[in-house]
Amino acid sequence: MTDLRRALPLLLALLGGTAGVAALRQDPFDHEEHAKLFPGCENCHAGITDPARSVWPTAESCASCHDGTVEKKVTWTAPAGPAPSNLRFTHAKHAEEVLAKAPADSALQCEACHLEKDGKWMAVSRARSAQCLDCHKLPAEHLAGADTSCATCHLSLAEATTLPRERVAKFGTPANHDAADFMTSRGHGELAKPPAGTDWAVAPSCTTCHARDFCSQCHVNAPEVKLIQAMAPDPRSLAITAELKEPASHEDGRFLARHGGQARRDAASCATCHTQQSCVACHRTQPAIAMALPEPGPGRGTGAVIERQQPASHTVGFADWHGQEANAAPKTCAACHARAECLDCHRPNPGASGSYHAAGFLTRHPSAAFSRESDCADCHNQSTFCATCHEKAGLANAGRALAGGYHDSRGSFLLSHGTAARQNLESCVTCHTERDCLACHSAQTRRFNPHGPGFNPERLRARNPQTCAACHGNAIPDD
Amino acid sequence: MTGRVTGMVIGLATLVTSGGAAQEYLVRLDTRVQAASYRGVKLDSIPVGTVVTTPGGSQETPDGYAVTCIPGRTHCSFYRAGAVRRGGPIATSVDLTAWGFGLKGLSFHLNGRVGADLGSSDVWPGTDPALQLNEGYGEYATERITGRLGRQIEHGRLGYYGFDGGRIAGRFPGLGLSVIGYLGLGLARGTALPVTSDVLNPLDDFQPRERQLLAGGALEWQTRRAEARVDYLREVDRDTRNFVSERAAFSATLRPVDGWSLTGGAEYDLSYDWWGSSDLTLRHTRRWGGAAVGVRRYRPYFDLWTIWGVFSPVPYSAVNGSAWLSPVAGLTLRAHGERYSYDDTRANSPLVSEEKDGWRWNAGIGVSPAAAWFLDAGYHAEFGTGAASQGGEGSVSWRPVSSLTLSLEGGHLVRPLEFRTENPAVTWYGGSADFRATERLRLSLAVTRYDEDNRRPDASRIDWSQTRVRAGLTWLFGSSADRLPLPPAIRRERGR
Repeated sequence: MTDLRRALPLLLALLGGTAGVAALRQDPFDHEEHAKLFPGCENCHAGITDPARSVWPTAESCASCHDGTVEKKVTWTAPAGPAPSNLRFTHAKHAEEVLAKAPADSALQCEACHLEKDGKWMAVSRARSAQCLDCHKLPAEHLAGADTSCATCHLSLAEATTLPRERVAKFGTPANHDAADFMTSRGHGELAKPPAGTDWAVAPSCTTCHARDFCSQCHVNAPEVKLIQAMAPDPRSLAITAELKEPASHEDGRFLARHGGQARRDAASCATCHTQQSCVACHRTQPAIAMALPEPGPGRGTGAVIERQQPASHTVGFADWHGQEANAAPKTCAACHARAECLDCHRPNPGASGSYHAAGFLTRHPSAAFSRESDCADCHNQSTFCATCHEKAGLANAGRALAGGYHDSRGSFLLSHGTAARQNLESCVTCHTERDCLACHSAQTRRFNPHGPGFNPERLRARNPQTCAACHGNAIPDD
Repeated sequence: MTGRVTGMVIGLATLVTSGGAAQEYLVRLDTRVQAASYRGVKLDSIPVGTVVTTPGGSQETPDGYAVTCIPGRTHCSFYRAGAVRRGGPIATSVDLTAWGFGLKGLSFHLNGRVGADLGSSDVWPGTDPALQLNEGYGEYATERITGRLGRQIEHGRLGYYGFDGGRIAGRFPGLGLSVIGYLGLGLARGTALPVTSDVLNPLDDFQPRERQLLAGGALEWQTRRAEARVDYLREVDRDTRNFVSERAAFSATLRPVDGWSLTGGAEYDLSYDWWGSSDLTLRHTRRWGGAAVGVRRYRPYFDLWTIWGVFSPVPYSAVNGSAWLSPVAGLTLRAHGERYSYDDTRANSPLVSEEKDGWRWNAGIGVSPAAAWFLDAGYHAEFGTGAASQGGEGSVSWRPVSSLTLSLEGGHLVRPLEFRTENPAVTWYGGSADFRATERLRLSLAVTRYDEDNRRPDASRIDWSQTRVRAGLTWLFGSSADRLPLPPAIRRERGR
């Protein structure tokens, strides 16, 4: 009994760290003010060691002084029921173990945990974790202990069922969470692994504060990760919010170009943060590697939300030369673009304007058509689009090739029209018919030879003799 | 033809709307209407005896029109201004994709258009026939094979080809290979109409009596650092069994180092036995800018059912360069230049010197002083045989809210016309508004005024000045209808 009394202060102090912590924080009772009145803790907190008695003083015991005469009256109601806690022990249990191990240790008093070393009597506070760690020979700061050290005093969050969500939200953040690589698999992923030689499924340093729901906030692949599944589900763990942070690898300016190869090499790493939706946001072709990622669903994090990012190549001027790239690397384009997007521009719509050509293009289309930079015929049929319009404008000259007068910038245009025609034949045919030319350039008319450099009569005759017959009739020459 | 198109439209519409047959669909409706006018020329002639010779020695009509008189002819010809023609093209296009028919990978696509000219003189191109089916096909896709049947468009180095037929593509991901083959009845280039259509022959030219049989294939190879594609296409006239075209092409791009690319390709016309267009460009791209240098050769292509190819169109060869720079956020500078030279035409006359060379350049600047403002200005100049133009343009865009963009734009252009004594200057200015009422509904309106100053010295100055109005409506509905083609180019994470 003597030993028990000796240990009582310590047990009372431990109570302050568990059942009494909240009360101490909220209790306006100033222990220091009453230091001279109370020689020990057990007078008021006898229930710490004796379950048959109350942990708290009665209102009557306070009123013995605070009767309105000696001292002003006070209102005091003892908290009801056990206080919420995530401690692995009760003060009574802890006292039993302490006394069993060190029956004569006079240091194990309330003040050992609840009073600063060499502090003033009754200057009590919540349990000083450093002193707990010191007694238990855990050479580290609180929240910085080894993997198993948390479990010395604390239950896992899922086991601490009485702890309210608000208390969880106020858990402190260990310093190692600020490490540069903490958010990587080398960081918290390694730390979560159970310490070697223990029976833990997950390191207690994680489960003391977290449960499966917490991990699933970020981990898209939570159902596939054994460590996460080894943790018990507990929605209170969502009181601590987590946010995906972009890995350092993604900051590399070349990441966008290289992410495909990296995904092939380490798809599991991508699956931590990305669902299929991340990929198909850009990759319309739904590549196999993307489809191997998890689909969004219950028990998984939403993952990184991706919106399409314009490739570095799509800079100023890209609209002018994208055709080259599209022809040479159609698959690259198809990763992001549907064919319909191409056809929005590459299939002109009557009445539409400004989709492909810049505003005001109409005014300069003649000069753009001459010596054209791109192939107008890819989008515009020369007959329906160009010739129809020119005909209505009176520019088409069917059957009146030699009327003359339109190309009047040179008096000798007829002499130089051959050069103009071979250089800009596509522009000529938007106003002139074949019959205009055949009026002179035919074996059956004035016999002006239209064939110029590169003309291969044998090849052409073999492919389409009808073309030859248009001028030569049945008398197609051998060469 | 119209009946077939109507049948397909009705059939697909029935598929979509019939009691849950199609679980998902996406429809995009685009309506565009424009009010425009233009004024052409009208050929006229007077007897030689009535022609007036001016003090400067030129010949004119008594009312001041310059005339062209050909020795030996009794009349001289000239061009008067034609009547003002007003057009009001309106077109509504429907783009439908439907899937979810109980067989994974099966989908149907339809793209059709209804168009008309609301103007008084039916002048606008492309509105006839009123109903056109651009695409309408069913597709079945697995991981390795995609099959497609119906009216479709194939695109490759050889251009865009429409046809009614089948297409199959096989993929071998391990090798990075894809093989594509297609076969069908071809459509005319640059349109959804067969070559036999009346509207394709406004000038009463030669025209085939049967649609051509089109067959082609492509082989694609892709790795992380390189892509290459070989195309082959032939078209055969079913009536005469003659070739309409036979061409092959090769294109490739190499990305040996990040930020650098080498892109090129070439076409070969097996019918005419000559090289078509080709190009090679070296490009360097960084976040802050980039540059490109290239060489290219351009040669037009004509089907063999025309005889244009026998006139031996010559190619031009060009060297070009581009640069763009964004030294600070919100500022972009750009410049592009090209010099080209035609091959010898062998058609030059001893009395006329042959012009072979031309060049063009442009430069511009884009400034975004604030998130809601964007200013752009540019200048371009083109000089070459046949035509030229020089001028500048600018625009100011303001986006007070993400759904509304208001723009003011204008420009000035001098454009000597093709081999014609005219040096008109055009000043144009206007404004436009683009309003995304909802994620699925987009409205646009633009008004542009063109003022032309025709500097021709004789009476045939044509006043082409006019005001053009354009309005448009885009309406998306169906599942996934909120996904517009190009979302904002940003990447964000949850919670940001």
